[in-house]
Amino acid sequence: MKGRILGLLVLLLWGIAKMPLETRIAETRREQQLGTYKILSNVRQQLGQAGFLAVFGGLRSAIADLVFIGAHVQWEKAKYGKVKEYFDICTSLQPRCPLYWDMASWHMAYNAAAYVDMRDKTITDPLERAREIHNYWKLGEDYLLNGIKNNPEDWGLWDNLGLLYREKFHDNLKAARAYGEAAKRPGRLDYVHRFEAIYLADAPGYEKEAYDKLLAIYKEGDSQQLPTVLKKLQLMERKLGIPKDQRVDIPPKYRLPPE
Amino acid sequence: MSTPAITIENLTKEFKNPALFSGGKILAVKDLSFNVEAGTVYGLLGPNGSGKSTTMKIVLGLVTPTSGRTLIFGRDSRDVESRESVGLLPENPYFYKFLTGQETLHFYGKLCGMGGKMLRERAKELLALVGLEEAAHRRVGGYSKGMLQRIGLAQAMVQDPRLLVLDEPTAGVDPAGSRQICDLILKLKEREVTVLLCSHLLSMVQEICDRIGIMHRGELVREGKLEDLIAIESQTELVLENASPALLAEIRAKVGASGARLVAEQKPQQNLERYFLDVTKDSPK
Amino acid sequence: MTAASSPSAISQASAHKLFSWRRASAIAGTTFRDLVRQKVFYFMLVFAAIIIGLSLVLVNLSFRGQLQAVMDVSLGAISVFTLLLAILSTAVLLPRDLEERTLYTILAKPVSRFEYLLGKLWGVGIMLFVATALMTALLSIVLYAWQGKEVSNIMANVEVEKVPQAIAHLKASTFTWKLFAGIGILFLRAMVCAAFTLMISSFATSWLFTVVASFMGVLIGHLVPIARAVWLEPMQYGVEVSWYLTAFLRFVILFPDMQMFNLVDSIAVGDQVPWADFGSAVGMGCGYLAVYTLVAWLFFAWKEL
Repeated sequence: MKGRILGLLVLLLWGIAKMPLETRIAETRREQQLGTYKILSNVRQQLGQAGFLAVFGGLRSAIADLVFIGAHVQWEKAKYGKVKEYFDICTSLQPRCPLYWDMASWHMAYNAAAYVDMRDKTITDPLERAREIHNYWKLGEDYLLNGIKNNPEDWGLWDNLGLLYREKFHDNLKAARAYGEAAKRPGRLDYVHRFEAIYLADAPGYEKEAYDKLLAIYKEGDSQQLPTVLKKLQLMERKLGIPKDQRVDIPPKYRLPPE
Repeated sequence: MSTPAITIENLTKEFKNPALFSGGKILAVKDLSFNVEAGTVYGLLGPNGSGKSTTMKIVLGLVTPTSGRTLIFGRDSRDVESRESVGLLPENPYFYKFLTGQETLHFYGKLCGMGGKMLRERAKELLALVGLEEAAHRRVGGYSKGMLQRIGLAQAMVQDPRLLVLDEPTAGVDPAGSRQICDLILKLKEREVTVLLCSHLLSMVQEICDRIGIMHRGELVREGKLEDLIAIESQTELVLENASPALLAEIRAKVGASGARLVAEQKPQQNLERYFLDVTKDSPK
Repeated sequence: MTAASSPSAISQASAHKLFSWRRASAIAGTTFRDLVRQKVFYFMLVFAAIIIGLSLVLVNLSFRGQLQAVMDVSLGAISVFTLLLAILSTAVLLPRDLEERTLYTILAKPVSRFEYLLGKLWGVGIMLFVATALMTALLSIVLYAWQGKEVSNIMANVEVEKVPQAIAHLKASTFTWKLFAGIGILFLRAMVCAAFTLMISSFATSWLFTVVASFMGVLIGHLVPIARAVWLEPMQYGVEVSWYLTAFLRFVILFPDMQMFNLVDSIAVGDQVPWADFGSAVGMGCGYLAVYTLVAWLFFAWKEL
């Protein structure tokens, strides 16, 4: 009995002593966005008992992978409700995987929206159809925004957000801003900072800003003096009334027709 | 006066009775006191459940007494150090099946702080002593009961202890093997090794023990020198060889005249064990 | 049988040491040998090998980040199997020695109960190390095979001037010191579970109870982060604080935070885990090991055998 009492006392003291240490470690990791996850209220239902236990048995990432594959299977059957549920689970289990957010957004904003547009015979009212399509675009946008929140250093999510704004929402300003954010992230590809300037040029009221950016890109050298950049630069020069002697020298084959 | 090998003073041990939820207790040993002098063979006897095993476990520090104390060569038996000089052969010994006989001895030798060449030589010596040289590289899992007893005896002796505690050392051993174990114990006694022997084989106890203690229901009911305890005080035994019938008649007459009673007159019998050994010694293998 | 002439030096070979690594290591060695000859050890290694190998097949099924798929499945296998081995191996040690009375012959020698427990835990540790090393070697082979396939893809599809950079980036992503450090932390977690199991078996009366209680403890350990978050910020989770909820949460928080040892999830997605995080996991792991071993000894020291 003496040994058991002493043992329990040691366990209790250790439990009390380790609490602030573990709390501090958990907080540090949360700030670093490491190992964070959120368990949704319906995840137990979705995964079943074994899957739920496996999540807490340290197989969180592996389960997320399996659920991701499951989402793909549901997509093949065009069951977009299930696709969304599955993606909600795998993004909550492994929020630090940009690919999950990216694919979730793509399935909602492009595939689900296209399905509603072209194949869903249950919707007959065109207004309702348009509303449904727009809702799916919004879902896609939400996935990307949440993905960015969980993966702030990932440029690809910003890039895809820019694509979504320009292709679906036709909002060139938002697209430009998204590409601008992508351009600030490490590892981004070259085109994103060009796209920022290009789509800003198409946003009414932002011609000066667009012109400054396009000019800066032009001055980076031949590798950046691509046709679209040159075209947009000329357009901005015209819109802003830049004197001809201050305009950049465009090769003849890329010159716009005279005003 | 030398320090006794084992000193037991007012030893009492109570166990909780798991069958009684109200907190009942079982009194396994009650106010036990006796000494085992160094260099002697002491037989601790008693029926099953008398408290012998509990007493042995307390002496070896495996169980804590409720009250009282036990000492080994003057050292509290709860100290791990006291077991440097003790070897135990438990009843129905069991060892790790996957170890060979030799590896078993090496293992127990290391537990006693031995190692290297000294341990290897000691193991070889003990395997020869207990007659397991040929089985040294066989796994203990394949040993017979008798072989297990022998390897058990060897591991008990690995660190050359000053005290050996043997619980039923001849259980499952054939008469020849039992004889060898008895002879070994007597040789150990000559080397002043103390032996605490628990056995139901009373003939062996009678042959080799100097003192015995008999336990019953947790108490020591008899204790002392063997010859004193079992001698029938009022009787005298004479064994005559080549006595003539006339001499025998004269002795009978004198006994009758003196008022004493001739209790029995018969041919003495040889020991069955000795008879068995003589008969089987030359049997073909 | 002849009387042995034994050197008188044997019994005075050396003065008794309060703690002896030789004694503990003798017990560790036999424990390790006992564990690796159990069929369950080989079955588990074979299953782990199958799962790690299957991750290459999964790569073919999934169109997603292939490296992550291989990592997640393989590391998940290592995570699960080291836990299983730790608990199942440790749970049977004490009950078996007690039932077969091998414990009596061991403790009748000048071996303290602490040395006995430490030796047992040490033996389990050696077995877990060997198992983890084997699974890691297999993972390395799988990653190397996958890497080879990806190098071929790069050489076939990427512009010539970008090939060296792409290959260097691929190799840097595949094999990192932090991956192996993360696996090392998984080994440490398994050791913590083994020590936890040893602690339970030091007072438990059956190995089955030990196994069940240990698995429950590990499961609860994975819930500790949630319990701690709810306890510290109940309003954020929409939870109404009551006395029994508080008591329950405090009870849960006493268990080891298993999530703290799970750095491989972050490593697998390419997160840059600071070395300080490995340090904190190692520190806490060693703390748990020490505490559970101490408590196991306290429970065992006065146990009636």
